[in-house]
Amino acid sequence: MGPIKPMSNLSLARALDFIKANQNPDGGWGYRPGGQSLVEPAAFCLLALKAGGDKAATGGGLDFLKVCQKDSGAVGINPRDPEGSWMAYAALLAFHALGAATEERRLSDWILSFEDASGRLTPDNIKAISNDYRYDASIQGWPWTPNTMAWVEPTALFIIALVRSGVPPTHKRIRSGVSLIFDRKVRSGGWNFGNPYSKSHELEASLLSTAIALAALDAAGVPESRPAVGEGFRFLIRGLAGDVSTASLAWTLLALKSSPAGAFQAPIVAARLARLQAADGSFRRNLFETGLACLALGYPEVLLRGSGRSG
Amino acid sequence: MNGKPMTRRNLIGALGTAAVSAFPAAALAAGWGQSEKRPASGPFLQVALVPCPDYDPERLLEAIRAGWRSTRSPDIRGKRVVIKPNIADFAPDRPIHTDARLVEAIILHLGDLGAREIVLAEGPPHNRDTEMLFRQSGFEALARRRGVPLIDLNYDDVRPVDNVNPRATLLRNLYLPETILSADVIISVPKMKTHKLAGITLSMKNMFGILPGMKYGWPKNTLHWNGIPLSICEINGTIKTHYSLIDGVIGMEGHGPIMGTARKAGVLVMGVNALSVDATAARVMGIDPARVDYLALAHKIKLGSLRSEDIAVAGEKIEQARADFVLDPEYTFLRAPKG
Repeated sequence: MGPIKPMSNLSLARALDFIKANQNPDGGWGYRPGGQSLVEPAAFCLLALKAGGDKAATGGGLDFLKVCQKDSGAVGINPRDPEGSWMAYAALLAFHALGAATEERRLSDWILSFEDASGRLTPDNIKAISNDYRYDASIQGWPWTPNTMAWVEPTALFIIALVRSGVPPTHKRIRSGVSLIFDRKVRSGGWNFGNPYSKSHELEASLLSTAIALAALDAAGVPESRPAVGEGFRFLIRGLAGDVSTASLAWTLLALKSSPAGAFQAPIVAARLARLQAADGSFRRNLFETGLACLALGYPEVLLRGSGRSG
Repeated sequence: MNGKPMTRRNLIGALGTAAVSAFPAAALAAGWGQSEKRPASGPFLQVALVPCPDYDPERLLEAIRAGWRSTRSPDIRGKRVVIKPNIADFAPDRPIHTDARLVEAIILHLGDLGAREIVLAEGPPHNRDTEMLFRQSGFEALARRRGVPLIDLNYDDVRPVDNVNPRATLLRNLYLPETILSADVIISVPKMKTHKLAGITLSMKNMFGILPGMKYGWPKNTLHWNGIPLSICEINGTIKTHYSLIDGVIGMEGHGPIMGTARKAGVLVMGVNALSVDATAARVMGIDPARVDYLALAHKIKLGSLRSEDIAVAGEKIEQARADFVLDPEYTFLRAPKG
């Protein structure tokens, strides 16, 4: 590793220029330049532009997201998607940041009514899952798609977005989501997509899932003194010793910035992430990752509570 | 999606208890398969079973060429070919993913045959960190070395396509990646593995990976709720795989497709019809394909044939190649008797 050097304002400006240059005619953004406009990359590009003070490009982007909202308040993956799903978390963050109060309230209400499959399970189902996967399937969280099982990442992403949107962490859905995250913890520390075991086999945690889960627990006001939180951070730190992807590094940086204990590591991770920026200003020429990296490096308050946890 | 209580069959697919259940006839409409017409008698499907003891590049290329020649392989010249490996996850000590050296040999072979464009594409099922999976599994380096695009199908541009099954309920249409829809030729290149939910995973199950996670979740849970056998058949009925090439050099036995252990079979199994290739690979694994419910369903709806009398196997004899893969206790009923 070279010297620690956080992302400069100039680097942030180049990333924002890349985002602006790749806005689609419909106002949205795809994951890659020229790709179909989709809610998650569009929302993160908007969040980065808004945080960076750009006003020109955000209007069209907000219009794109508004078109994606259905009468029910739901948001799917794009305007043609007939059902709401997980990308609604990103739209909620964007509606909040851009002051689209009516759309934000309708979407927040929909997310709070967006159900997983836990209510459809019989006691025998729950027992079978407990035997095979060793988690409590009666705990309600959020699924990727309607009426399927809840998983760690969508639950965590919705917690982050709802709290940012002003829903109190004491809300029963958020409390239940926090319970689910704790219940799905991998025994040796950290989280994966949501199965701590498969029969007798303990499954491995992943950096991306762990970082998002930790950021969500911070959003929900869970103190760092909880053992699972400390184990999660130790898993993150161990993971940083190896190769790490752009998205995992960005979410790890956000998780570390949410924690007083992460203060030492955060600048090192920030410098490592900043070095991944390409000459064209992008991160992997991926518009979602470019927006996410901008937020993690320059504007974490868009996603995080702000002051970090107390012990 | 309806709000009905969960049945045991739903639970099996969605959550992972591992028994295989009978299939409800109401969900089926016969004859929406795309395979060649079955003749009155005699084998009509060709499968090559090619010995390949290791991943030596020259031996791989030689084996691929031999298998390709002995099957009615598709015309590649001037075509855009999409190769779909299986990169379900990565672990340094377990052979979870299709070996990148095999895929590299396929790329060279297709180049020799005059392919216009070759694309690698996969949508990993439960780990969203595709950047890392592609890197750790060696596919990122392979793509760079050979100058071929490597597409994460979980986040590709998508388009809804009518489900070929007219009685489909949960998935009336399938959101499919443009990378797949724009392919002239699709080649499925799975790893030979046992599977905790499906019994085994080969070419047909590998096609789960073409459905984008951004629409179906991680793991592709909507497909599990639809029922794994039905989803496999609906996907394979809607999107034709033009060629299947199974990496059985080193497969996975036991608690696959992620937590099992390495098992050497030392073969490539190749052919045009995915069902007959899968059935042959199952026999190599010591499994009766008729007892694997998605293969039985695929046969029933005429996606090809799993019957040994319909399949002409070139190369190694199945009995000689047979390497009984260890099965999880709840799947021991799949074991084919010897002889």
